[in-house]
Amino acid sequence: MKDKPSLGVYSFTGCAGCQLAILDCEDQLVDIFSAANVRVFYEAMSNNDDDAKVDIALVEGSINTDEQQEELKAVREKAKILIAFGSCAHHGCVQAMANGDGKWEERFKKVYGDAEFTVAKPMETRPLHEFVKVDGWIPGCPPGASQMLKALTQLINGSPPTYTNSAVCLECKFKENECLLNKHIMCLGPLTMGGCGAPCPSQNMPCVGCWGIIDEANHASELKKLMEYGFSKEEILRRFRLFGGSDIVDKVSELLEAK
Amino acid sequence: MRVYKISKQDEKKLFKVLEKFGEVWLPVKKGGKCTFSRIYSEDRLTFSQTEICNRPLLPLKKLLLPPEFNTLDFNAERYNRAEQNVPSRVVVGSHACDIHGVNILDKFYTTDFIDPFYRERRKKTIIIGTSCEPDEYCFCNKTNTNIIEEGYDLFFNDLGHYYLVWVGSSKGDDIIREGDDLFDENITDKIIGDFINWRKVNENFFTNDIDFYGVTDLMELKYNDNELWEYFGDKCLSCGQCTMVCPTCTCFNVIDDLEVNKNEGHRRRYWDSCMFKDYSMVAGGHNFRKTRAERLKLWYTHKLKAFIGQFGNPSCVGCGRCIVTCPVDINVYNVVSRLKGQEKELIRK
Amino acid sequence: MKLANDPHLYTPITMRIIAKRDLCPDVRFFQMVPAGEFKQVKIDYKPGQFMMLSAFGAGEGPFSISSPPSRKGIIEFGIRKAGKVTEKLFTLRDGDTVGLRGPFGNGFPIEKMLGKDLIIVAGGLGVVPLRSLILYALDNRESFGRIIFIYGFKNVEEMLFNEVLLEMLDSDQIELYLTADKCEVKDDKYKGRICEGQVTGIFKDLKNIDPGRTVAAVCGPPVMYKFVVDKLLEFNIGKNNIFLSLERRMKCGVGKCGHCSIDYIYTCMEGPVFSYWDVIHMRDLI
Repeated sequence: MKDKPSLGVYSFTGCAGCQLAILDCEDQLVDIFSAANVRVFYEAMSNNDDDAKVDIALVEGSINTDEQQEELKAVREKAKILIAFGSCAHHGCVQAMANGDGKWEERFKKVYGDAEFTVAKPMETRPLHEFVKVDGWIPGCPPGASQMLKALTQLINGSPPTYTNSAVCLECKFKENECLLNKHIMCLGPLTMGGCGAPCPSQNMPCVGCWGIIDEANHASELKKLMEYGFSKEEILRRFRLFGGSDIVDKVSELLEAK
Repeated sequence: MRVYKISKQDEKKLFKVLEKFGEVWLPVKKGGKCTFSRIYSEDRLTFSQTEICNRPLLPLKKLLLPPEFNTLDFNAERYNRAEQNVPSRVVVGSHACDIHGVNILDKFYTTDFIDPFYRERRKKTIIIGTSCEPDEYCFCNKTNTNIIEEGYDLFFNDLGHYYLVWVGSSKGDDIIREGDDLFDENITDKIIGDFINWRKVNENFFTNDIDFYGVTDLMELKYNDNELWEYFGDKCLSCGQCTMVCPTCTCFNVIDDLEVNKNEGHRRRYWDSCMFKDYSMVAGGHNFRKTRAERLKLWYTHKLKAFIGQFGNPSCVGCGRCIVTCPVDINVYNVVSRLKGQEKELIRK
Repeated sequence: MKLANDPHLYTPITMRIIAKRDLCPDVRFFQMVPAGEFKQVKIDYKPGQFMMLSAFGAGEGPFSISSPPSRKGIIEFGIRKAGKVTEKLFTLRDGDTVGLRGPFGNGFPIEKMLGKDLIIVAGGLGVVPLRSLILYALDNRESFGRIIFIYGFKNVEEMLFNEVLLEMLDSDQIELYLTADKCEVKDDKYKGRICEGQVTGIFKDLKNIDPGRTVAAVCGPPVMYKFVVDKLLEFNIGKNNIFLSLERRMKCGVGKCGHCSIDYIYTCMEGPVFSYWDVIHMRDLI
């Protein structure tokens, strides 16, 4: 029997819900902790070994200060494999929804005034891969239990996690849902990475894109269709941006120019 | 072929008969959508072409090869075929187009190599077809799939107060024998007249003016018409809904899942779509169909041309599901229209 | 051989890795035999056929067989680390097991090659399936005419099977040409033995090609085929005597999953070896 791989769960800016999503897997929790030697996991344990070298680092949250950049680099050095865990780490999530609009400082001032920051220098939200090499990611806000467990198991067994190649629509059709877009509802399913099991459309709620943008997303076509259905360009772009993270920035300026 | 008559008053009584052959399934309207669903009581059973909802969202293939299922259990030393535990089913309410779809699946999955998972489910599925009233999206009359001659066990033609029932298989005959007292073999001239009239009336429901003439040649000749394919490629959302709802789409993907902290796993098979970016991508990253236009072209080659070489007829059965499903109106009607150099489009309401 | 109606069509047998070595930094050579209860299984195949290999937990993928059927018992593969399955395969040690299904595909048409001169052109990893054909032809040397083998690679470090090929250079059984896109030779044993340039550059050196009795087999990266075929056509070799082994995504190997479809055929069933005549018939083959 080979040695158990060591695992660390690290957290930056976000709601810490991704860590909670692990704890939420109550039926498999013992299995996870038996399969891996968990060294750092603040939300779950009190005896954390911050200096430990780990085989697998699950990093949740986005990077929002210069200090976090340094901490992230330190985690990178300690870890053999670094996984962007959840949407914040992967693409910035909701805190990146205004990225690239050039108004970050203005917004910051509005909230914090002229207060001086002595501990760390804040900055616009960035995903992990802009600072360190990321070996893989587990999408989701937060990640869904089934896909996360699958990915964790793969990592523990020495394989990179499997990504979903399809939009939310695939599983939405598996559940035999009627297409909400066809009912003139602003559903972002076709633009959004699947793997979640389409829980929202299955409850007649449109997809808001929380797992992030899929590679092959055709924003221009969906934008056009939604405008035909009477939505304004501004409200559509706002929805695209909500979970579009930093990935959407270039896309949005392109779409703004398009008719 | 044997033909029987059964009175509509007696149709509910068939539930008890069918139940002896397996779970009874029927297209049922649920929250506005039509889906093949299991029914548990005779109240819901009907063979009526006006009562059974049209065009279930997913076609019969969802019962013959489910969207996802486990094919293998494995550990580090051994791969074992997973038990499928398939129930016997009697599926009522399949329309002619969908049964044609099953006939194509039969050919596809049992030619050369036989897919064991398909065969197991197919063998345990009894298909009772029913006649239908075409709507504006149906075009099975143009794909020659509006009349069905094989592939069903029984087929109910709804002639108003009674059904005229074709027997299509030995199992179908078994059902008739089981419900012997409900069926009448005496087909009078009056009934024959009713049937001929009914067929004429039913033909008149078709309003879809899609023109299939020469489409196979046009697929070949316009294969390199980039403008045509990019017109659709620019619109395509790569969502894959068209392939999920198409009765003759068969592509699947296979993925291995491991159990946490157990040295065992499962090989899961699920519907795939040629609309997805990595459909033709090989390890190392080379993609044989990088663009949406190329992938759409593959799909339409398959539906309108390729199957003719393989099985003698195209694989579009005219069910109209692509028309009612595609969010951006890429469908057989609109592609055929453009192939013919026309710009008229059929847009779902 | 799998039967057409085998209920275990998709169930791999277990193979044990008995040896492996690195052919270059990212290509590893694996030798394996049926393991445990499958020990008695006889695996018959043709050069150019492929197998579906399963790596525990990582999935399954198609791999060309690199061993010749004339050397029975051991199945060999040359595998590039390029994805999930191969990454897992690279972690395996001697004695570890993998799953195997097959063989699948048509393979090279040996019957059309018997008694003929062969021109075999390999680019990069394309040498893997062609090794099966070359060794088969050498093992049955009297059944073939000339054997001309042109092998191109990016640089000397990426030349696969280098030791056996260097031996072949001195052999009178095979006319071997080695060529590297960039030929910086550090090791003395390669000096003057590897040309610089692409495989197409070699054709001018081929003498006395008799198109009436020549059959060609080509395997390499997708961009290579067109240029090599043009060169072969310049020799007037028949379009139905030029055979190309193609790569496609495959999930089943038995014409069901759809991924390898081209026009109206499935590469795993009608291929992976196609004649140039097929290429003219079918859209997007190369």
